[in-house]
This record gives sequence, C-alpha cells and structure tokens, in this order.
Amino acid sequence: MKLASRLALAAAIVLASAAAAAQERVVRIGVAMPISGPGSYFGVMDKEGIELALEQLKGTVNGYKLQVQYEDSACSPLQATNVVKRLLDQFKPHIVIGEECSDASLAIAPILNEAKVVQLNVGSVTMKLTESGYKYTFRIFPNAEQQSAPLVKVAHDVLKARTAVILHEKTNAGNDNAEGFKKPFEASGGKVLATIDFGRDVNDFTAIATRIASLGKVDVLPTFALEGQQVRLSQALAQAKVVKGGGGSGVQMGSIWLPYGYDQKAGEASVGYVRIVQFDPTERRKMVQDFVSAFKAKYGQDKVPTHINAHAYDAILLIAEAVRRGAHDSESIRDAFSKFKDVEVTTGRITFDPKGQNADLSVVHFVETQKDLSWKALSWQ
Amino acid sequence: MLVAALPWLISTAYWRGILVLCAMNVLLALALNLVMGYTGQLNLGQSAFFAIGAYVSTILIKTYHWNFWLAGVAAIIAAGFLGLALAAFAARLRGHYLAIASLGFAVITYQVLVNWESVTEGVRGIYGLLPPVRGTVELFYLIAAIALVVYFAMENLVRSPVGDTLRAIREDEVSASALGVNGALWKAFAFGVGAAIAGLAGCFYPGFVGTLVPDAFNIVESFTMLAMVIVGGMGTMIGPVIGAVVLTFLPELLRGFGELRLMIYGIALTLVVLFLPGGIASCFRRAR
Amino acid sequence: MSDLAALVVQQSLNGVYLGCLYVMVALGLTLIYGVLNQINFAHADFVTVGAFTAFFTVTRLATKLLGLPDTAAYLLSIVAAFGMGALLGLAINAAVFAPLRERGDELRPLIATIGVSVLLENAQLALFGPIPYQFDSPFARETLRFGRIFFSAQSALVVCVSAAAIAALYAFLRFTFLGKALRAVAQDRETAGLMGINPGLLIGLTIVIASALAGMAGALLGPVLVLSPFAGASVIVKAFAIVIIGGFGNLQGTIIAGILVGIIEAFTVQYLGSGLIDLVVFILLLAMLVARPTGLIAERKEENV
Repeated sequence: MKLASRLALAAAIVLASAAAAAQERVVRIGVAMPISGPGSYFGVMDKEGIELALEQLKGTVNGYKLQVQYEDSACSPLQATNVVKRLLDQFKPHIVIGEECSDASLAIAPILNEAKVVQLNVGSVTMKLTESGYKYTFRIFPNAEQQSAPLVKVAHDVLKARTAVILHEKTNAGNDNAEGFKKPFEASGGKVLATIDFGRDVNDFTAIATRIASLGKVDVLPTFALEGQQVRLSQALAQAKVVKGGGGSGVQMGSIWLPYGYDQKAGEASVGYVRIVQFDPTERRKMVQDFVSAFKAKYGQDKVPTHINAHAYDAILLIAEAVRRGAHDSESIRDAFSKFKDVEVTTGRITFDPKGQNADLSVVHFVETQKDLSWKALSWQ
Repeated sequence: MLVAALPWLISTAYWRGILVLCAMNVLLALALNLVMGYTGQLNLGQSAFFAIGAYVSTILIKTYHWNFWLAGVAAIIAAGFLGLALAAFAARLRGHYLAIASLGFAVITYQVLVNWESVTEGVRGIYGLLPPVRGTVELFYLIAAIALVVYFAMENLVRSPVGDTLRAIREDEVSASALGVNGALWKAFAFGVGAAIAGLAGCFYPGFVGTLVPDAFNIVESFTMLAMVIVGGMGTMIGPVIGAVVLTFLPELLRGFGELRLMIYGIALTLVVLFLPGGIASCFRRAR
Repeated sequence: MSDLAALVVQQSLNGVYLGCLYVMVALGLTLIYGVLNQINFAHADFVTVGAFTAFFTVTRLATKLLGLPDTAAYLLSIVAAFGMGALLGLAINAAVFAPLRERGDELRPLIATIGVSVLLENAQLALFGPIPYQFDSPFARETLRFGRIFFSAQSALVVCVSAAAIAALYAFLRFTFLGKALRAVAQDRETAGLMGINPGLLIGLTIVIASALAGMAGALLGPVLVLSPFAGASVIVKAFAIVIIGGFGNLQGTIIAGILVGIIEAFTVQYLGSGLIDLVVFILLLAMLVARPTGLIAERKEENV
C-alpha cells in the first residue's frame, strides 16, 4: 500500500523529468577526477582547465548548454567505479572525462562502454586502455609507446647514448613508461645499467644518487616521476655529480610528467635536461598564446598553465567541437570523435585512430633546458 | 527481513553497489571485533588478511582456472593460516607492541604484494575480474546471507563457554592462565577465525570492483576497520554491524560536500570517539 | 680512497643523515608513549604542519616583512615551527588526551588521534592544496665536499640540530627538577602523584615538548621532503617501527634505532633497491619483536603481575 503509492510517485517523477530532459538542450559532461588524496594534484589542475574552457564558451555551444558534474574518484579503482555508477544513475552524462590514474581509468572503461557512454581520457598512459577494444573510449594523452619510442630515438641518435639508468615511480604509469623505454633502447643496442623504482613516499634521493654514481659512466637517465620528487631527484643527482647540471656527463631525460616551472624549481640541477613536452607555453601558435593569457588573467599572472591544465581545457574544446558539428548525445559524440581529423587544440592536433587513441604526434615536442633555465626546442621528427 | 528488503528500497546501481560494499565491511568489522572486542587483542593487521583473501582467490581463478568457490575456500584457509602465524608472534606481546607488530605484518604483506610482480602483477593490477554471480542485487544477497550466517555463528560462539574464555583473556590474561586457560591457544583461535573471515570478505572484493590493485589494501584499511568497530561499539555483536553501515555510507553521503568531505569525516570520527565511549551501540543500551 | 670504501662511507653518511631525520620524528612519539602509554597518530601531521609553518615563515614573514637574509630567515623558521608544534601539542592534550586519561582506556585516544590525523591532513589539503611547495633552504644549495665524499650543508645542519636537541632533552631530563619529575611520572604515575607532583601538568608538558620536537622536525625536513599535506605520512610508519625497535619510551634506544634504520635504508637502496626499504625495515621490526620485545636497550621491563 504505502510501497505502491511510493512507487507510483517515483514513477511519475521519473516520467516527468525524462520529458523535461528531452525538451532541454543540454550536453551533460561527467568528470571523474581525484579531488582528495595525493592524486588531487591532478584533479585541481584539471578543474582549472575545465572551468576556464567553460567560461570562455559561456557554457553554451550551438544552442546546447554544457552541464558539468565533478565527482571524486581519488585515483582508486574502487572509488572510480563507485562515482561512475553514481554519475550514471543520478546525472546521466553523455560523456565522462576520466580518470587520471591508469588503474582507475581501466576500472571504469568497461562500465562506461557497457553503458554506451563516451569516455574521454586525458591523463593515463597505460597501453591497455586503447588496446582492449573499447568502442567508446578515446584518449588524447599519448600512451606509453608514443612517449617512449621518440625518447629512445633521441637518446640513441641525437645524444648518442649507449648506457642508461631508468628511474621511475612505482605505479602503473611509471612501470609502463619504464618498460616502454627499456625495450626499444636495448633493441637498438643500448645497455640499461639499472632500473631503479621508488614509491611516491620516498623523499630523499641521496642514497639513490650515490648508487647511480657507483655504476660507472651513465649517458642518459630517463626519469618518470611527479614534479615534487623529480626536483629532489635532480638536485641529488647534481650533488652526486651524475648529471650535467652538477658537473657530470649524464643527461636526464623525461617524458611529459613535468610541467613548465620545473626547471626554475630544480635550479642548476636541471640544466641539460632533455624532455618531451606536450604543452609548450612558449609556442608561438595563436591558440596557445590566447590560452596562456586567459589562464593568467583568471588564475594569476604568475601562474603558467601546465600540460594537465591544457589537456583538461582541450577536452572541453573537443566536446564543444563535436557539439558544433551536430552531436548532442553519446552516440553522436562518439561518431563525431571518430571522424576528427587535425582538430586543433592547445597541445597540438587531434586525429583519433580506430582504437580511440590520438595518433597525431604533433603533440610531442622535444626541449632541452638551457643554462638560463629556459627551453630550447630540439627539432627532430 | 529488513536486509532482504533493502535492494528494493534502494534501486539505483550506485547505491546498490554501496550496499555490497557495506556487506563486505560488516564481515570485516565482525572479524576484527572477535579479535579485539571479545579477546582484547589490539590487531591492526586485518588489511593483510583481507588482501590475502582477495589475491589468493584471484590468482587461483585467473592463472590456474580454479572455480570461484574452491578458490574462495583456499583463500579463506590461506588467510586463516596467516592469522595463526600472526598469533604466534602475538603470543608474547601486549597492547601497543601487538598493535605495531600487527601493523608491521600488514605493511610486509602489502610490500610483498607490490613487489612480487611475477605472481601478483604488483602495481600494474589484475583486470577483467568477475563476481561469482552476475547482478549487483544477487551479489548483495549472497554476501549479506554469508554475513548473517557469520553473525549468528559468532553470536552463538560468544554466548558459549568459548566466549567466556575469550572474555577472560581480554580482562586479565595472567589471572586467566592461573585458572588453567591456555591463553596462547585461544588467542590463536581468535586470530585465525578473525583472519579467515576477513579473507572471506576478500574473496568477493576483486569481482565487485573488477580490478585488483595492492593499493586497495594499504594500512589505511586496517584503521578504517578499527574505526568501524570502535564507533559501532566494541565487544557487542550489533556494534560492528552499526559501525560498518555508518562508516560505509557516511563518506558516500558526504559526497555532496566536495572538498570538505574527508575533513567532516575526520571530525565526525573524533567526536564520536570522544563523546560516545561505547560507540553508537551504547546509545541503544542506555535508551532501554 | 678505493671505490668501495668511498661508497661505503658515502652511504653511511647518507644513512646517518636520514637516521637523524627519523629520530627527530620518532623522539616525540616515544616521549609521549613514555609518560602516557599512548600513541599519537596525528604526530606525522604535526611534522607536516611544522614544515608548512617554516615554509610560510621563510617566504612571507622573514624575508618580506622583516627583510632578514636567507640563513637567518631559515633559522627563524625552525623556531617558529617549534612553537607551532608546541601549540598543537597543547591543543591535542586539551581536546583528546586529558579528557580521556582517567578512564584508563587504551584504545579510544588512539582512534581519536586517527580522527585528528584525518582532520589535519584534509584541513591542510583544503588550505594549501595538493601541489607540492618548493621549500628551499639556503643550506640545501651548498654542497660540502671532502675528496669523493659529499653532503649538503642541509644534512650537516640536520645532524647538528638533532644532536643539539637530543643533548638538550637529555640534560633536561637528567638535571632539572621538572625533568626528574617527568621521569618519575613515567615510571609510576600514582606514586609520583603521592609525592606531590601533578601528573596531569607534567603529562601535558611532555606532550607539548614532544609535539614541539615534531614541529621542528618538520622545519628540518621541509627542504628535504616533497612538501605537501601528505608529507608526514611518508615518515610516520617508519617512525613507529623505530619506536618499537628502540623500545617504547626508551630515548637512547630510539636514537640508536633511528640511526640504524637510516643506515639500513641507505644500504638497502644501494644493493637491493628502494622498493624494498619498507619490507626490510619491517622484517627487522618483527625479528626484533621475536628476539628482544623490549627493544634494543632493555630499560623498562614489561609489566608483571
């Protein structure tokens, strides 16, 4: 009795809101990002990028309102699956931007694909995300192979490196990047003297630097860790006279983990560092410069946008572009994405391959840190 | 019964998922309560047994293609053995020594899971895991049913002479041994059973999430379980259940608060501990 | 110097330096345990707060407002962190330990401190955000070299300040009236009370000193750590291990254990890999508990009938 009337009421509400939803022109964007815990490092920057993009678009594209809901997935598969279910139940998004951490992204991919909701990934490196046959998953972030293969080429051909010590944080992403460097480097005749991993809670790198110094001549040191640890690591390596910045001969190399500003923080130790950047705030392209000025205007003149900001910003740009081309729900967004060719964003150009991975390597630039801590773009292709 | 009706009242996939989580947490809280509430041993290592349950069953299923139920039994036995091993250490330790030793146990287990990559895949994780029954509602009924069985079995246990023995050890181990109680034996029993139940809960975890990574079992989990038991009311039967329910739903209910969520959680935890000595269960006892 | 000899000396020095850092954190823990039989799980967060206090003192107060040179600013920040730690100690004593003391419950203060730890960590997260701050001490930029051995001026500073703090603590406990009263309370609270010592006051004082030490540790660790609200969590578990290995409430033991753990860590990194540090340390811990449960230097016996 009570139950029946409760059910009837619920049914009425559902019908009413469904009808209402059908009339409103809204594109609902769910965002599953780490807002708490150490992963919030990413979540905070993602939010900045997204908010700026929404502000510039005035929240509307092509007559459709862009509605965003943030949920905290804390970089954990359990929480990520919980919040995605929550989003699917309550918010009914047409597209979900998520996650940053590889395990969490892999955990939500099957759920989103089963629900036929597009997943747009802007931060995970694991190959499995686009190698598992998910039709609704798209990624603009270069995967492990796309990052490491060019790195090896530069190490071998340009820097003439024959010995390497790989340093990486003990996470899914760190492991993938390390493997991604090791295989091609050894295949091209290089020798990896040691692969040193460390947890995210390691703070002092003097012991590690001492160990590396005892290994003999090291040509390159590919390093895959977050900004905070990298600064300390570089300083320790300089102290131990392993790297150029400290008077040694090794060259630290890295992937896109480091935002602009790392060199200033690490100081002299970072001189000679060669790395891939996905977002170069000094790039002369109009879109990049507009983005940088808008970012500074909104968040403070002394804040330079990082690649994390840029990727999140680009995610909204891509969704907006899809909507501009007529998409307004999951299926049409999926179709639009799969047809994208050379769509310009702040990090480069986007063309999704059949697996959903952005295949355009214009997003991969090489820079070397100069004595005055500025970047010099290395040309190679 | 109330439990059976729950999935009807709660009809969205998200909250049903939380129900499943809640049922698992009830099992974990009951397990810890046996060791801590009734036997008085401060055990911070339960996350290790939870992890063993999860990993042993998953590896047996994925690598050796065992059936879920067989793998589950194996995992429970493995966890139980580990519990006995910890008890062997615990035989001579009291109070805070035991607390830190059990914590050390949990850390070592976690580190082994992370580093023994050839077997556990370490931080890469194991993917594509399936629960024993499809459907969240069915899974909830399964785990809840098991939890109920465990609850009643434990209730009988603590009411029996065994329960008296355990309580005697809790109150004063030295005097109890003067009365002929073999403290070491019964502590081992408590630890073993507590570990086995935690391992049991662990069997269901990977299938529910679909992904298994070591980070799900770091020592923070042990503290969460501890909080559930204490906040609910240690040394009672209904206490851990209340604690598990409250501490599973509270963080989810607070999601609306965004960044403030965990801060509120911390405040709530501190306040309950400070002002409700017997946990929430004591409110009902006083009210009677 | 031969290669191997240089390596051994270098890693040993690294180990001593690391060890001093751990000792600074562990010292407060063991002090609190000595008088109160309680573990303060929020201790690590006190260290983090100390580090942030030092950071803001240096960047905002000392250089901008007072115009002090770098080195003086940094030394001032150590003092500021010490003070902040003391304040936190007062707060947690008043809020958690004092009210719960009389009930003789071992567990509830423990859980309450867990709650405080969660609260502090997330409050800092809300205030400071998750992005690490760059805390540079002027000492960290200078490297001292003797032949092939190197260490930064910061490490030298850490060792000196730690040694000074330990010496001061020792002198306090041994030679002053307050110190002796404290030891009396640690040994037997009831009897001390009968002798006219106010245990409550002294316990409060111990907690304040212990927390002040934690704050100071934060200031020393700031330039070493990755400074974010999660910084404390990275050292706390090892600090617990050190307290046990050294013996709960035992100062000498803690110091020796701390340095020992630091050296073990350095050599584990050299020969086994940093992923295994925690494993090695905790296996050592469990071994200690089997062999010598009362700690390295058995000063206090376990309670007997």
